[in-house]
Amino acid sequence: MTHTLRAATLAAALLVVGAASAAECIAPANPGGGWDFTCRQIGKIMYDIGEVDQPVQVTNMAGAGGGLAFQTVVNERTDDEDLMVAASVATVTRLAQNAYGGASADQVRFVGAIGADPGVIVVAADSPYQTLTDLLDAMKEDPSSIAFAGGSAAGGFDHLKVLQLAQAHGIEDLRSIKYIGVDGGADAITQTVGGFTQGMTGDMSEIVGFIESGEVRPLAVLSEDRVEGFDIPTAREQGVDVIGVNWRGLYVPKDISDERFQEWADKLTAVAESDEWKAAMAANGLAPFTRVADDFQAFVDESIASQAELSREIGVIQ
Amino acid sequence: MRGATRVNLSKGKGDRLFGVVVVLGALAYANAALNLQVGFLTDPVGSKTFPLLVAGVCLICGLVMVLKPDPDPKFPSGATWGLMAVAVLTLVAYAYMLKPLGFLLPTTVAAAILSYLIEPRAKFAALAGIGLSIGLFVLFRFVLGLGLVGLPRGL
Amino acid sequence: MDILSNLALGFSIALSPWTLMLAVIGCFIGTIVGALPGLGPSNGVALLIPITFSMGLDATAALVLLTSVYYGAMYGGRISSILLNIPGDEPAMMTTLDGYPMARAGRAGDALVISGVASFVGALFATIALALVAPMLARVAYLFGPAEYFALYLLAFSTLGGIASKNQAKAALASAIGLGIAMIGLDNSSGFPRFTGGNLHLADGVDFLVAIVGLFAVSEVFVFIESHGKGSAIGVKLDRVTIPWRDIWVTRWTMLRSSVLGFIAGVLPGAGASLGSFLTYMMEKSIAGPKGGFGTGVVKGVAAPEAGNNSAAGGALVPMLTLGVPGSGTTAVLLAVLMTLNITPGPTLFANRPDVVWGLIASLLIANFVLLLMNVPLVKIFVKVLSVPANLLLPGVMMVSFVGIYSLTGSYFDLLLMVAFGVMGWLFRKLDIPTVPVILGILLGNAMENNLRQAMTLSNGEWQYLFSSGISITLWSAAVLGFVAPLFLRRIIKRPATPMEAMGEHEGTPPPKQRTD
Repeated sequence: MTHTLRAATLAAALLVVGAASAAECIAPANPGGGWDFTCRQIGKIMYDIGEVDQPVQVTNMAGAGGGLAFQTVVNERTDDEDLMVAASVATVTRLAQNAYGGASADQVRFVGAIGADPGVIVVAADSPYQTLTDLLDAMKEDPSSIAFAGGSAAGGFDHLKVLQLAQAHGIEDLRSIKYIGVDGGADAITQTVGGFTQGMTGDMSEIVGFIESGEVRPLAVLSEDRVEGFDIPTAREQGVDVIGVNWRGLYVPKDISDERFQEWADKLTAVAESDEWKAAMAANGLAPFTRVADDFQAFVDESIASQAELSREIGVIQ
Repeated sequence: MRGATRVNLSKGKGDRLFGVVVVLGALAYANAALNLQVGFLTDPVGSKTFPLLVAGVCLICGLVMVLKPDPDPKFPSGATWGLMAVAVLTLVAYAYMLKPLGFLLPTTVAAAILSYLIEPRAKFAALAGIGLSIGLFVLFRFVLGLGLVGLPRGL
Repeated sequence: MDILSNLALGFSIALSPWTLMLAVIGCFIGTIVGALPGLGPSNGVALLIPITFSMGLDATAALVLLTSVYYGAMYGGRISSILLNIPGDEPAMMTTLDGYPMARAGRAGDALVISGVASFVGALFATIALALVAPMLARVAYLFGPAEYFALYLLAFSTLGGIASKNQAKAALASAIGLGIAMIGLDNSSGFPRFTGGNLHLADGVDFLVAIVGLFAVSEVFVFIESHGKGSAIGVKLDRVTIPWRDIWVTRWTMLRSSVLGFIAGVLPGAGASLGSFLTYMMEKSIAGPKGGFGTGVVKGVAAPEAGNNSAAGGALVPMLTLGVPGSGTTAVLLAVLMTLNITPGPTLFANRPDVVWGLIASLLIANFVLLLMNVPLVKIFVKVLSVPANLLLPGVMMVSFVGIYSLTGSYFDLLLMVAFGVMGWLFRKLDIPTVPVILGILLGNAMENNLRQAMTLSNGEWQYLFSSGISITLWSAAVLGFVAPLFLRRIIKRPATPMEAMGEHEGTPPPKQRTD
């Protein structure tokens, strides 16, 4: 059943015909990843709860880490009222680091985020560091003594989370903190358990299985509140004021009407409040994180500013 | 040493020629690597080292092929080269036509040409072209559910 | 007993009617693909990957289908070896030595049945060994940091170049070309494009599926145009197929010994099934001695390489699943499958995706029984396939390649790239440059570079770090030895002469056209 369904969606995407007035969601990556999930889940729930009257058509447009989709929206479809695009913190990081070929965040409108994967810092179960402060103190003494592994490339969000923590703890020499970007969170944990790196930085959903097997010790979760069901203190509780969550949300083209923008925000809020979405979040390790419309736009602007500053400091951008 | 090399020049022409191409390619690659734009976030290895190592290995291997070639394989005769060129051109044209003209038409033509190139039997080739294009279309579109466009849009 | 409960989980996944059906279809297609001269397991799986993904199968289903094709092709390869004296794929090469003489002596049916049973024994042994060994080896991966992985990749390239090829320089060149192609695209660390020539299509790098389909499938068409479709006619007739119980009983120890040796050969990174069949044939030949009559059409000469290569095919899955380092061309293609499915092979695969691993192992076991049934009583069906003329088959292969890549990427640029890889594949075969290292290079290039860079980051740029653990020193030594030793060994151990010159050709290339001038 699902096979035919997925084949059919794909077929539709390939045919590039589709019904004229159906809403479209662009996932700027191949099927299977986070952006694809965002489009398919939100699109499906929007239709199921009656916010849109035709099924949302999902198009996969992989390329340049989301840059291709961003450019397409800005250059070709900037007044398309029926278009939304999946976004996450990676979109913001790349915009902050000017990785979309000169494109800037104000060329689109960020409509909302309705779930987030909180960042975490973990160490191996036999690590001498018991708390986040232990770890950060050791880094303060000798920044190069602690190496981190994470699932994103150097300069990516997993890297920036460590730097934010270090910065908040008063560590000056951010550039000498070692970070290796490996192939996903599971790999990063393997490196840490194997003792090749001292800490792992990643998302909550990446470490759940390892906490259960007892191979790692989570030191901190970078969300506002503790994640339900897990006994992990937040960074804030430990006196390090850093929030780092990998949110899942959408942006829309810039030149649509304000009314239409508000409509999208309302539809997204309706999805966020639906039971279907709550179930989807639980199944995929997401925590509630709802910010829409202007509130969200402000959050995005602020993230971009702080990430750009941090990136400049470590030399990812000039 | 030099004399020996010269005596053998006619032997292993293919390897020698390809070796020269590899050496030139490796040099070009190394040059491109040296001119790479480097990030500000530097690691001890950097963006250039690995490509340069790769270019180095290619260079050495290319030189070995030039200096110590294997005996030549049987290269195709002149006419066969022509056939292969036609095949490449057909495939390139097919790649360009697949989107604007749909699946059926270009596939019939391309498959027929390829079939004819393998064995010059015109009637068989034409039938193979038609059969393959219709057969595969049915298979892909209806059995496997892929989104193939059969005919050009507007037809 | 952990393994039993894991296997139970696997079977609960693999025994659903849907996956079971996929396994049967995969085995059927695989056997056909293996039997057709010019299409081996690598081409077969390569050809089907894009199609499978376009169909939107989930990870387990896609894996079941494609591994069934893989195992099926390993079985099917023997059919054309025996009947046509043309190995349907490279590992089936050794089977021609005694299989074809048997067929000429009117025992084609016996040869097919014995080789089918031997394939079954080998593959069954390997699958069971895989289930036992792989989880243990998965723990080992915690000992692998960036420096160790870098050395391991090096070992894979050097053994592939050293053992599996005739000319070290050419094998090394092929690896380097693959690695060089892998560098194309955005640099993982700096984010700047490398070697794209400003072309946006190349910003994400060269898709390895495009390269695989081009090198393995598209190049076949050029080979056949050059040879004008020779080598696709049936050489020997197959009359009646009966089961030669006595011969099977006689070869029982040969099959078991070959299975063990084949599995070990398969586990070595870079060696793979061809080495497995070669080693087992040589072992049985020396055990039997000159009186054994190897090479004249004896049953042991058919049983040994078939048990060996099927067992090695299973063994090659061990390093692929546990460390992400493929042991052969086909496992390289399967690694590509996993990577496309967003599954990262490695120690965590067993912990995080038991459904994938054990579903795969269970479906391999099922595939084996399906294949035994298909390949012994129903072997005549596949023999019919051999009579499909090249001028229908090859255009078909080409069109499937195009549709597969096109429906996956939707880009004419990738199609052009695929044709370019096809031309490259043809040229490389002409010059006897192996193509498998190219694929391996494209697959592993970025990981290899990243591991080098990570190792240097961790060590603050001190190169000694690369040789700082026992594991990495061992791997480096093995890599150097694996590359250099064959240079000397080759003079001592002569490979047995084959009845035809196709020995050095890859993936069952038809014999080159005889020049008439």
